[in-house]
Amino acid sequence: MTTAHTTPAKELRISRLDKSYAMSRGRSVPAVRDFNLTLAPGEFVTLLGPSGCGKTSVLRTLAGLEDFEAGEILLDGRSIARLPAHQRRIGLVFQNYALFPHMSVFENVAYSLRLRREPDRQVRADVAHALEAVGLSEFGPRLPGQLSGGQQQRVAVARALVMKPDLLLFDEPLSNLDAKLRVQVRAELRRLQKSLGTTALYVTHDQDEAMSLSDRIAVMRAGRVEQVDAPEAIYARPATLFVAGFVGKVNALPGRIVARGADAVTVETLGHRLEQPAVPGAPGPDVLVLARPEALQLVEPGPGMPTGTVEMIEYLGDRTEYRVRVGSTQVTVIETALARHRRIAEGEPVGLAFVARAIHLLPPEAGTPS
Amino acid sequence: MADAVALPGGAQEKIGRGWGLLLLYPVLAAFVLLFVAYPVAELFSRAVMVDGKPTLAVLGKLVADPFSRKVFWNTLLLGAVVAVLGTVIATAFAYAMTRVAIPLKGMWHFLALLPTISPPILMALGLILLYGRRGLVTHELLGIQTTALYGFRGLVLAQLISYFPFAYLLMLNLFRGLDASLEEAASTLGANAWQVLRTVSLRLLMPGLAGSVLLLFSYSFADLGNPLLLGGDFPVMSSQIYQSIIGLYDIPQGACLALLLTLPAVLMFFAHKQLSARTAFATVGAKGSSRHRLVRHRGARAAALAFVGLVSLVIVLQYMTIIAGATTQLFGINYTITGKHLVAALTKSRGALLDTFTLAVVSSAVSVVLGLLIAYFVARTELPGRSWLDFVANLPLAIPGTVIGLGFALAFSGPPIVLTGTAAIIVIAFSVRSLPYGIRSGVAALDQLHRSLDEASTTMGATGGQTLWRVLVPLVRPALLAGMVFSFTRSVTTLSAVIFVVSPHWSLVTPTILSQMDRGDVGEAAALSLMVVVMVLLVVHGVPHLLGRDWREAR
Ligand SMILES: Nc1ncnc2c1ncn2[C@@H]1O[C@H](COP(=O)(O)OP(=O)(O)OP(=O)(O)O)[C@@H](O)[C@H]1O
Ligand SMILES: [Mg+2]
Repeated sequence: MTTAHTTPAKELRISRLDKSYAMSRGRSVPAVRDFNLTLAPGEFVTLLGPSGCGKTSVLRTLAGLEDFEAGEILLDGRSIARLPAHQRRIGLVFQNYALFPHMSVFENVAYSLRLRREPDRQVRADVAHALEAVGLSEFGPRLPGQLSGGQQQRVAVARALVMKPDLLLFDEPLSNLDAKLRVQVRAELRRLQKSLGTTALYVTHDQDEAMSLSDRIAVMRAGRVEQVDAPEAIYARPATLFVAGFVGKVNALPGRIVARGADAVTVETLGHRLEQPAVPGAPGPDVLVLARPEALQLVEPGPGMPTGTVEMIEYLGDRTEYRVRVGSTQVTVIETALARHRRIAEGEPVGLAFVARAIHLLPPEAGTPS
Repeated sequence: MADAVALPGGAQEKIGRGWGLLLLYPVLAAFVLLFVAYPVAELFSRAVMVDGKPTLAVLGKLVADPFSRKVFWNTLLLGAVVAVLGTVIATAFAYAMTRVAIPLKGMWHFLALLPTISPPILMALGLILLYGRRGLVTHELLGIQTTALYGFRGLVLAQLISYFPFAYLLMLNLFRGLDASLEEAASTLGANAWQVLRTVSLRLLMPGLAGSVLLLFSYSFADLGNPLLLGGDFPVMSSQIYQSIIGLYDIPQGACLALLLTLPAVLMFFAHKQLSARTAFATVGAKGSSRHRLVRHRGARAAALAFVGLVSLVIVLQYMTIIAGATTQLFGINYTITGKHLVAALTKSRGALLDTFTLAVVSSAVSVVLGLLIAYFVARTELPGRSWLDFVANLPLAIPGTVIGLGFALAFSGPPIVLTGTAAIIVIAFSVRSLPYGIRSGVAALDQLHRSLDEASTTMGATGGQTLWRVLVPLVRPALLAGMVFSFTRSVTTLSAVIFVVSPHWSLVTPTILSQMDRGDVGEAAALSLMVVVMVLLVVHGVPHLLGRDWREAR
């Protein structure tokens, strides 16, 4: 598909969105609360969060498939909140693909164009483009039931793309595919979205998927956005312990800032002092020290370092995970398989070294559930 | 759950030890042969045998006779119009109920289903009182004296009201079952509500629509009450069969007509069966959603409400008229309020009410027990001939009630088995007609059970019979009771299946209503109809209440 076919990308601004579901006897359960998110034109943002946190609800509200109580949805500054679904020009790729079983692949993709009464020649050209873009040129005459899961998924994408939507929404589109295919298709999706430049919001609860696909990730928790940032920032500088824990394993250690310099602070944790680059507005003096398992290394025990005993070892092929008890805390250390020649045994005393500048400091209250 | 360790000998062992239950298999087979196959065969043999010699003369004469040909085409025409119009109404009604935000849905649903628990003959009665020669609307309000109701138009109207609810139930379940995400996908792709309906929902429901057409077709074919009361100069097959037998006492001709009526009916039935097998694909899968978004568009809501309200109004008018007819001296002539018809219904016709109730209860139990056993043999054993048993036992679904009733009357009026005038012939006719539903509820009941459950019990040392009683029956009771209620309703409201087998000893309500109307006793007919509706309503709504929550949820 050539860029000549695409409309200029739009900015999406969601502000103060509240949505709840009506239950029996007048009760209602909140699903989305005070949700704020802005997507730059052409940006690919992922909503990441645990099951039931409201991801699907946000998408369906954007697509016009759900009513909501409060908030505003703006596309390039124009409100679409009151438009019915069929007037929103928002493409939604469903988790189960929702291909029309009674139409061929071609007719599925052509559906939106036919509704707009595009001339037949135009329809055929556009559908051919879209099918080519997802690598399914040969499959036009087939029925959806005659395709594999991955192929169906790509038809669903082509069907959403062909109408040149102002916004593309994906609801866990890869969750029905096997692990290998998932990796392959997500790369294709990313390439496709980049080449089209359509603003996209993507829902998943798979952190790898979110990390590899997104320009930015919005981590959701209980109907709210907890943090929006680039994947590296989410991983390395999570705003809360929840975010940190959701995108990977993390050691949360109590610590104290004992000295502040011009461009560095000294933090004490596990009875050990670490230098850390100073950031403006850094918390203190009590802090929560977040250290990813790979930010720690096992070394020969010696003076001036935290020491402990290995309590458990888990070999995971390309890496090994250690649980080490240091005083009253247990820390997790992950080493790549090739990093160590001599095997460590359970019960062995070890020393811990911090990888330089790899820890992150949070105010202690960021670790409590909100 | 206990690990079911396979016993040596496997299935054979299992069947061998359930010999007690197996003894019932030949008994069941004999019952089905004797009371389903034999009467129908006897009826058809009367059509092609005269004085013990095979002949096609009667059939030939009938086919050549222009009047008979007209009757045949009339039947098809009426069936086609009712089938198509009824499907349109049922589909629109079901769409309004499942996809449009309209108030009072529970009430509309209840009203739409009222005709399914009333004798169809009640519709004819209501229509006559409202729109007949001295009808409330035609004569009193419009001041015209017209017979326009009698004939094609009246029949269409009466059959639509009587039978569209069955199609509505079918379409309702199909609309509910459609995968909501397909309709949502269509709307995100730019389709408005009408386009979604036209290009997605209705396309997916195509087999269901065709199924509804065939269903209504067969109901129209089988209807006897409405053609008898409203037919006028538009004779159809069922009423002609009645005339041949009761009026002319021409059994060969009646039998031939019955044969000619059965052929298209059976064809439709098998076409319908084929289609229902296909509808299954269109319904929601494991990953789909069945939470459908409701249309909020003001115009659409107003239109849907107006439509649903209008259809309900027509139905309500029928029942109000029946009530009025039952409580006035002579509806159409003298509108003085009186309780005498209601009293008469409970005194003079008490025998008919009690007989109907008793016989219908007994036969609903019979059909459900037989249905469960047949379902068990068909689904859980490898016995030879079980698919034939299933086929024959299900035939009463396809064969019009008039044909079954006439077959009974002919087959059991002489040797080898004489049942004329007994309660048994009525109970058996009821049971045979309900047997397919009994089987269906039996299949549903058995399907609910995990197979391992009955295997576990068998390996624990129970015989097949004990398995059925101890383990299965308590778990399947809800489905069986639902089957009984359904079968009861069907028996109480049928006219066609019993009109040829009633006797002075055992009177039934529907033939009684018919003869009351023949005599011009509309008040008594209305009062008795009302009693029937009340009786069925009490059973349909009362039984679940008596049995408690779990039963209603199981439905
Ligand atoms: N139709 C509904 N009726 C009532 N509650 C609902 C409905 N749909 C969702 N919810 C509730 O709203 C909350 C958010 O649901 P939502 O489907 O948006 O979560 P999600 O983040 O997409 O979860 P998942 O990852 O499991 O798909 C949940 O608590 C859920 O139980
Ligand atoms: Mg979801």
